[in-house]
Amino acid sequence: MGAERSAPHGGDTLRHGGAKVGQYGVVVWAAATLNFALPHMAPGDPVQYLYGGDSLGLAPELVAQVRAGYGLDRPLAEQYGAFWTGLFTGDLGRSVQYNRPVVDVLLEYLPWTVVLVGVSTVLALLLGVALGAWAAWHRGKRRDAVAVAAVLTLDSMPGFWIGMILIAVFAVGLGWFPSYGGAAIDGTGAAWLADALSRMVLPGLTLTLATFGGFFLLTRAAMVTVLDEPFIRLARAKGVRDRSVALHHALRTALLPVSTNLTLVLGSLLSGAVVVESVFAYPGLGRLIFEAVSARDYPLLQGAFLLVTLGVVAANVLADLLYPLLDPRVRRGGARSAPGEVTV
Amino acid sequence: MNRGLSRGLAIGGVVLLAILLLVALAAPLLAPYDPDERSGRPFARPSAEHLLGTNDVGHDLLSELIHGGRVSLLVGVVAALVATLIGAAVGVAAGYARGWVDTVLMRAVDVVLSLPTLPLTIVIGVFAGPGLGTQILVIATVMWAGVARELRAQVLSLRERDHIQALRAMGASPVHVVSHHLLPAVTPLVVPQFVLATKTAILLEASLAFLGLGDITAKSWGTMLSLAHSRSAFLTDAWLWWVLPPGLAIALTVLAFALLGFAFEERARPSLRVRSRPARSGPAPRRVARGDGPALVIENLAVTYTGDAAAVADVALTVSAGELVGLVGESGSGKSTVAAAAAGLLPLAGEITAGAVLVEGRDIATLPADELRRMRGNRIALIPQEAMSALNPVHPVAEQLAEAVLVHRRVGKQAARRRAAELLTLVGIDPGRGRDYPHQFSGGMRQRVVIAMALANDPAVVIADEPTTGLDVLVQEEVLALLDTLRRTIGIALLVVTHDLPVIETVADRIVVMKDGRVVEAGPAAQVLTAPEHPYTRLLLGSALRLQVPEPAP
Repeated sequence: MGAERSAPHGGDTLRHGGAKVGQYGVVVWAAATLNFALPHMAPGDPVQYLYGGDSLGLAPELVAQVRAGYGLDRPLAEQYGAFWTGLFTGDLGRSVQYNRPVVDVLLEYLPWTVVLVGVSTVLALLLGVALGAWAAWHRGKRRDAVAVAAVLTLDSMPGFWIGMILIAVFAVGLGWFPSYGGAAIDGTGAAWLADALSRMVLPGLTLTLATFGGFFLLTRAAMVTVLDEPFIRLARAKGVRDRSVALHHALRTALLPVSTNLTLVLGSLLSGAVVVESVFAYPGLGRLIFEAVSARDYPLLQGAFLLVTLGVVAANVLADLLYPLLDPRVRRGGARSAPGEVTV
Repeated sequence: MNRGLSRGLAIGGVVLLAILLLVALAAPLLAPYDPDERSGRPFARPSAEHLLGTNDVGHDLLSELIHGGRVSLLVGVVAALVATLIGAAVGVAAGYARGWVDTVLMRAVDVVLSLPTLPLTIVIGVFAGPGLGTQILVIATVMWAGVARELRAQVLSLRERDHIQALRAMGASPVHVVSHHLLPAVTPLVVPQFVLATKTAILLEASLAFLGLGDITAKSWGTMLSLAHSRSAFLTDAWLWWVLPPGLAIALTVLAFALLGFAFEERARPSLRVRSRPARSGPAPRRVARGDGPALVIENLAVTYTGDAAAVADVALTVSAGELVGLVGESGSGKSTVAAAAAGLLPLAGEITAGAVLVEGRDIATLPADELRRMRGNRIALIPQEAMSALNPVHPVAEQLAEAVLVHRRVGKQAARRRAAELLTLVGIDPGRGRDYPHQFSGGMRQRVVIAMALANDPAVVIADEPTTGLDVLVQEEVLALLDTLRRTIGIALLVVTHDLPVIETVADRIVVMKDGRVVEAGPAAQVLTAPEHPYTRLLLGSALRLQVPEPAP
């Protein structure tokens, strides 16, 4: 009878963890290799992608010089090896537009995006989970249908458009917030911080509005499923109050599928950041991607893509590490393992 | 979401989509100007000639808006179509072939899904260059993986269906099975995937166009917004006619597809669920003085589910303290409905239309919701059918036991924990295991915990609905022996609902037999078992004896 347990044992969890690490490794490898392959696969001379559009007007001997400089005259396998050596030494090439190492530019813009996306994620998560759970609890009633319709409508709006409308209304029309930028360049201390925060309100709000729908739909679907589970019926049979059935039993359990599906929502948050930062001229990675596209600054664009991919992977690793806190069934060593049954 | 609301959303989506498609198709007829013609002066405000004004080079914005739908819809629909076809092919191949083919394909799918969508689209898009064709290919390249993962799961379950298994066993070729049996079954599942993919593709196109990667010779709504952005239209009044309309057009189009997709998803869900009933006007309340007569009295009970004929009618039975009554019938006989009604836990769609359920003299059919809640788990307890999944997987069992005490008694946490330990001991479980989670217990042990939970507040009545389903034969006997002992020692009125007559024949005092929502026979166990009057009872006895083989352990 002791063999009926359904949870993975310690070994399975370990093996599962190993597979996950391998999976993330492959994702990073794929993103990097895509970066390497694209200039070679795209139409035209790879020189133009590595050196920038200016190479078109260069004299042939100069082009040859540039080719040699980038190692483009060597065999592909050798170039691929050199590419990886570069990655591991933190060399992502030079930004054409900034004429600086790509890594330096990225690291300068990264903190802004981390703060903006971090704050927006927390807000979107709280809002989406709370509203989604509320709608699921009232499933089948008019207020559920209204909430679903409203969220689907909001979710259908392009994030950059929401940003433009918010600027037109709150920055230009009402003058409540600055319409662009991360912070004034000069200025120190509290004044600088207040300025930076006020410039973060609209982009943060835009990003939250544009992405909380994903959390809402995820939570609602998970909670609707959980509410049909037998243990919810038993909780009611025990006489547990509705509020406690909803929060302590249903929502607590619905958080499990929500957290395993975080990957999908995180991807959309980072995608949202790209367009929202562009609208607000917010000095983060998204804005950098926008500028790199406009200036055809290929090395910078590729570096930003790789960094964003690393960000998604890092967020997933974090979610995987936190998951056992939510689900006792995958906890290792925490709860005591079950001894044999005691029979009457 | 009930059927009506879900259908309302779907109809909304279809109507919206039809309008948008008509406008896109009839664009040359509807648009007042050629969108690429300089029909007015630049930056003109709305006027009779130009209802939405003009852009920075004097193109009519209304005409651009009407024509823009063609590009947005074309790119979205075709890209989604390509992505769905690729995804379907990969998903069906992986799900049907399994083995290493499946592993390799699904690894690739996982990788694509883990890459950030828009940055990936941008990187490929920049290198692929402008043009509608490349845009479609780029979007499809990014989106096929999601479709593949979804359809593979569907194919895996289809593959295990009997007729497909039979075909494979008979040696039918994989090509035949896939093309004649699997694809027709998968096709209806592909449609929702396509709808949702279109929604994403249209938003991706808009983002790409906004970032300047659209085709400037074929302006989509996204391209319009990109130009409005670069000309800072949103910093002036022009946002009202230059920024608002194209964004609304995108939102409405995406919404149309989202509504359809949502309706498909909701349709796949079961629509009934258990909910505490609101107070309502039922039959007049009946009160009998406490201690007067049996603990549980069911009189002329009738239950109706919305839109159906009565599921149960004219059911009467009584259970006294210390008595064990068996309620027997096949599935569909209405016995579980009686159990749910008696425990005050009918599904939302169910309603008691006649009769009374008296627990210690109080009619629970007419109690207000909150008073009914105070009765449940306190005076009347339920041991539900699903022993394996009746406990909450994320809370330790002692905590769940203590909760049952705490909702009805004003005691401290310590006292509740002591009570939980007592209850575990009572059902033969080492109280030290209270800190463990349900998954660490076997099915039989979990059922013991559930029984302990039912006894938490010394209820007068306990209803056990198929308490042995899913347990192997030895455990079934143990569980029933435990219930039998408890009702004698504690003196509860125990109603055991089962389809399996032999399970209760040795322990029941009286047996009630139900068929098609009505009681067909009732009496002392010995009498019903040895001299059944109704042919159905004889049938149950006969079939039960023939079918008395061990059920497989879960």
